[in-house]
Formats: sequence, C-alpha cells, structure tokens
Amino acid sequence: MKASSSTYQDTSIWRFFSSVRLAVFLLITLAITSIVGTVIPQGEPLQLYLETYGPGFFRIIKLLHLNDTYYSWWYLILLGLFSTNLVVCTLRRLPFTLKLFRRDNLSLDSGRLLKMPFKKDWELKKELDNDSTQSIISAFKKVVGKFHERSDVDGGRLFLAERGKWSYWGIYALHGSILIIFFGALVGLFLGFKGNVMLPEGETIDHIVNRQTGEHIPLGFSVRCDRFKISFYDNGTPKEYRSDLSVLNNDKEVFHKSIVVNDPMEYKGITFYQASYRAIPEVTVQVAKSDTPQRFLTISTFQKTLWPEEQLSFGLMQYQPSVHGRPAAQIWVGDQKGREGNFWLLKGNKKEFKNGENLYRISLTNAKQLYLTGLQVKKDPGVWIVWLGCTILIVGFAVVFSVPHRRMWLWIGRRKGKTIVILSGQTNKNRLQFEKNIRKIEKALNSSLGVRQ
Amino acid sequence: MTFSSSYLFSLTTFIYMGAAALYLINWIFRVQKVGLLATVVTVGGLVIQTVGLGLRWIESYQLGYGHAPLSNLYESLVFFSWVTVVVYLIMEWRVKQRVIGAFATPFASLSMAYASFSPNVEDKIQPLIPALKSNWLIAHVVTCFLGYASFAVACGLGIMYLFKNRFSGGSGGIMGVIPDCKVLDELTHQTIIFGFLWLTLGIITGAVWANDAWGTYWGWDPKETWSLITWFVYATALHARFVRGWAGRRIAYLSIVGFVAVMFTYFGVNFLLAGLHSYGSQ
Repeated sequence: MKASSSTYQDTSIWRFFSSVRLAVFLLITLAITSIVGTVIPQGEPLQLYLETYGPGFFRIIKLLHLNDTYYSWWYLILLGLFSTNLVVCTLRRLPFTLKLFRRDNLSLDSGRLLKMPFKKDWELKKELDNDSTQSIISAFKKVVGKFHERSDVDGGRLFLAERGKWSYWGIYALHGSILIIFFGALVGLFLGFKGNVMLPEGETIDHIVNRQTGEHIPLGFSVRCDRFKISFYDNGTPKEYRSDLSVLNNDKEVFHKSIVVNDPMEYKGITFYQASYRAIPEVTVQVAKSDTPQRFLTISTFQKTLWPEEQLSFGLMQYQPSVHGRPAAQIWVGDQKGREGNFWLLKGNKKEFKNGENLYRISLTNAKQLYLTGLQVKKDPGVWIVWLGCTILIVGFAVVFSVPHRRMWLWIGRRKGKTIVILSGQTNKNRLQFEKNIRKIEKALNSSLGVRQ
Repeated sequence: MTFSSSYLFSLTTFIYMGAAALYLINWIFRVQKVGLLATVVTVGGLVIQTVGLGLRWIESYQLGYGHAPLSNLYESLVFFSWVTVVVYLIMEWRVKQRVIGAFATPFASLSMAYASFSPNVEDKIQPLIPALKSNWLIAHVVTCFLGYASFAVACGLGIMYLFKNRFSGGSGGIMGVIPDCKVLDELTHQTIIFGFLWLTLGIITGAVWANDAWGTYWGWDPKETWSLITWFVYATALHARFVRGWAGRRIAYLSIVGFVAVMFTYFGVNFLLAGLHSYGSQ
C-alpha cells in the first residue's frame, strides 16, 4: 500500500499511534500490569495495606493506587492509549479498505487473470459459436450464481462472480465493538449507581445509599420486603434464598416479585438483587413477681425492652435455635440503679432470679427468627450498550475469520487466431473450499468445451 | 454400584493414558498400525467418557439435585479432558496427522488423572449452591472449556514447533514426522483463533451471568481479571503475526505463555487467590 497523500497522516505521532507494534506492546503491558490487582487485595481500607506491606511498599501502593488498580490513573491511561491506538489504526486503514471495497474487479486484462492463485486456460482452434459460448457461460453460472459481465475486455468478454466483499468491514466491527463496550461502561459509571440495603421483613425503603459516595439516592418509589425465606438441602447446604418484594407507589402496591439469586427484580430501570441475609432472633418471655400478674415481653437483639411496672430492662445477648432440641436464649436483666445480670433460658423451663429484695419468675414461651434481606440495588443505563458491543464483537470476529472475499473470473476471447478461455480466481481465506469450487467449474467447462481429462 | 459414572471415569483415565503412550510410540517408532490403534483407543475412551458424563447427569437427578455435570472442580476436569479429546480428534481428522496426538492427548490424560487420583478433588455429586443455579451455567462452562481445550492443543502445537525448529537437522528421524514449521505455525494460529472465539464467548456469557447474579457484569474479581489477562495474551498472538519478525517462534512461545495463563485462570486463582469463583476449588 502506498502511503496516503494527506500530510497529517505522515506525522510521527500519527504513525506511532497507528502501529500494530504499539497494539502488541499495549496488549502485553495490560496483560502484565493486570496481574497486580489480582495479587494485592483491592478496595480494602488503607490502614490494612500499611499493616500488611509495611511503610515502604505502602507508599508505592498509595502513589500508584494499587488498592484500586483498575481505576488508577496509570491503568486508565493505558486503556486510553489502547482506545486511541484502536481509533487511529481504524482511521489509517479506512482509505485502504475503501479502495479495496470500491475496486472494479472487471477492469483488468486477461494477462492479470493468469497470475491469479487459481487459474486454468483452454486454447481452441475453432471459433466458438453462440451455442457453445452460452453453454460455457451457463456452466460457470451454475456454480457461481449471480455474476457481472463486461464485453470488450482485451478483445473478449469478461465475467466476474464476486462474493463477500463486505467482509472487509468485519475488522471495523470487531475493533469498533471494543470502543462501544468501553462507552457502555462509561455510561454506567457516570449515569448509574450501585448500592446495598439491609431490609427487615415487613419494612419499606424509598432510598438507598450509594456504595462509593455514601450519598442517599431516592428511588422514586418504595420497596417493601414481605418475606424472606431460606431453604436447605438434606446435607445442610443452602438451597435457596428468596425475598418477596413489593413495589409501592404512594402507598399503593403496584408490583410484586419473588426474587432469588440469579433472578432479580427490575422496576423503572432499577434492579434489586438477592445478595445476602441476616437473621435476627426475637424471643417472647413470660415474667412474674410473686404478687403481680404475669406479663409477656418481646425481646430482640438490638434494643432493650422495659417492664414498666418493675422498672426492669431486658435484652437478648445470644440466641441458639436448638439446644437439646429446644430454643435457648441468654437474657440480660438490669434495673435503674445499674444492677445487672444474665442467665440462659431454655424453652419450657422456668427460672427464678432476684433483684434486690424481689424474686421473679421467668420462662421462654416463644422464639422466632426475624430476617433482614440483603439487597444489591443497581441502575446501569449503559448495560445494553455493553451487550450491543459484545454482540458486534462476536459477529465481527466471525466475519473477520470465516467470511472470505472470493472472486472468480471467466474470460472468453480470441488471440492469434485462436479462441482462448481463461478461468481464474482468488480468495483471502478458506482456500480449500474455494479450490473445490474452482475445480467444479473447471470440470463443467471441460465437458462443455468437449475436453477430456 | 459398580456401573457408575465414577467407575467409567476411572476407566477413561487409564484409556487416555494408554492412548497418550500409543501416540508417543507412534511418533518415536513410526509404526502405522500403532497410530491407528492410538486413534481407536482414544475414540473408545471418548465414548466411555461421554456415557460417563451422561450417567453422572442422570445420577444427579436420582439424588434429587438435577444439574449438568459442570458444577465443581472434579466435573470441570473431566469436562476439560473430554473437550480436549474432541478438539484434538477433529484436528486429527482434518489435518491427517497423528503426531500431534503425542502432544495433545497427554493434557487430557493428566486432567483425568488429577481428577481421579488427587485427594484434594472431591468427586461426589454435590447440590448446586444458589449462586450456580442459572441457565447460564452450561453456556458459560461449555464456552470457557472449549477455549481452554483449544488452547491446550495450541500449546501442544507450539511445543512441537519449538522442537522442530530447534532440532530440524535432517529430514529423517523422529523430527521428520513432525509437520513442517510453516504448517505448524498455521495450525497453531488457526487453533488460537478457534480458542479465542470461545474464550471471548466464555467471558461474555460470564459477564451476562454476573450481571444477573450480582448486578455487575464486570467486577475485576481475580477469576475475571485472569481470564482477561489470558485474552490479552492471545490477542497479542493474533496481532503479532502482522508485526515483522514475530511470526513463527514468538507465536509458539505465546501459545505456551497463553496456556500458562489459562492454567492460572483455571487453577491458580482458585487455590492461590480469593474471590467470588471459590466454588470452583471444591
């Protein structure tokens, strides 16, 4: 290929960015540097790096952002160079491809045909009549299908069957798709968000907390967790985590979905994923003082429960769903004067405890687990662009490596008093299949020309 | 139960080891009949292994779990060896070269031997954990392992190239049977293209799946990152052909380096690095 005449393409910067050598260099560099972030843990608190690696290496980690390698300034520069390389390579190839694409493959002489990778020529002493010419052409047509014709090429008729010329654009689809994927990722990064929320059964949220920035993001609607359920296989490994979610709009239920891992809920572009769960126990105890009527109190982990008549507070320190087959709870008791104590209660057993002068009786009557479902919440308007890019990537790849540009010529003319028939062809890939096709035409022409082999 | 999938897989292990030995004998002593026998034994092993895979699928239904045999390290090793043999046999059939077998079947038999004999590899059928319950499981594993297996064969071809390139003194001897460097180079290139397409599809199906399961199509988890590193290495190999002086020996080296990256993505990440893909190590 001759260098393009436009001057900006001749500058050294342009040539630097358009070289395959740079592409190879960048690919190798990306491969090697990407290892860093798989060896050093990512996204941990800075203090941890200082403790693990010591002050010397810690300074390097901070300087090169090795705690967040793939979003560090130098990695982004590498990706930027990579993209620039892709764009410039594409632009530089474009005139060449356009020339190939627009080339008129009917404007060549019969001599060129004999220099093609596949060729065969016949010399006939007699002149061909109309009928035998027609039979040659139809033999050609039978194998190649549609074709173009130009008369008066080198004093003869030239026929051309051309297939897959468009495949030259495959490489642009393939390389362009990577830029499309990058673009989709940027759209998601700037216009989307990610957050987590722990939602207790029965409760509702109308906003989430952004994982990176910590800011509150209003959802524009509310989500309630109606129920969380975990089920197990016989061997005790978890089988399914399931949350029943309801979407509320101005306190009116507008949407329901039961989500499990791998099957999230999407509403108005925001997706809710089953990510984790937490179980909070809640127990009910029956308490009584000798001279007061008995009373039921509900105690859970995170807050104290007051027995107002006696000015006693109760808390749940630990909970075991099964001790000798029965639920057990470690209960904390304290009064206003700062006196406190704790004891274990097994369901069905009564226990007595003293506070000052007073003697109390307590028993565990009921216990249940209250669940919080851990939801990952995400909005990513760029994800469809990424999928589009991936699809184009695969299609482009298939075109680049499997769709050949094939040309087959047939020339019928006279030279030095003889009738000459030339068959030739060229392909840029899959030569074996192409050769088979050419041989097929050759055989057909042999028989219509009356030549025996 | 004697006629179980585990029994068939143990049988397969020995058959593939035998096949690898036969291919080696065929290469070194150049006995035509041994070569034919090697192919017959390999095909026989493949049939038994295929029945074993089907049987294991049925067994998982009988246990009440019901999932494709692609869910843990043991099953993936068996599948890796299965795909490697399939890819190799297709190549043998198309290229009509049995010598390649001496460099390709060892990968299949090593993988089976590791699965069968290592005490660290649990061969029991386990139920699927919630994260793996997805229609993408089969698509993701099959595409990835088609890539891995092709890269194993490409690595074998690369090693053959370096052998041939180094010891190509005379046309006779055991080097004479190895195809021409030019042919090997082209075969390596074609195999890398094939593997690269599947690796790309494997990464994409993984991204789609991750987006369904975790809400992130790309999270720079070590497994993901290493698959990308592997992708970079083979992308280098594909572009290197257009750089003067890079075809031939350097591409042979890249096919080996690439396979090391594949092995690290497959095993290294599970055993040495922590990440979301940890279920692959059990």
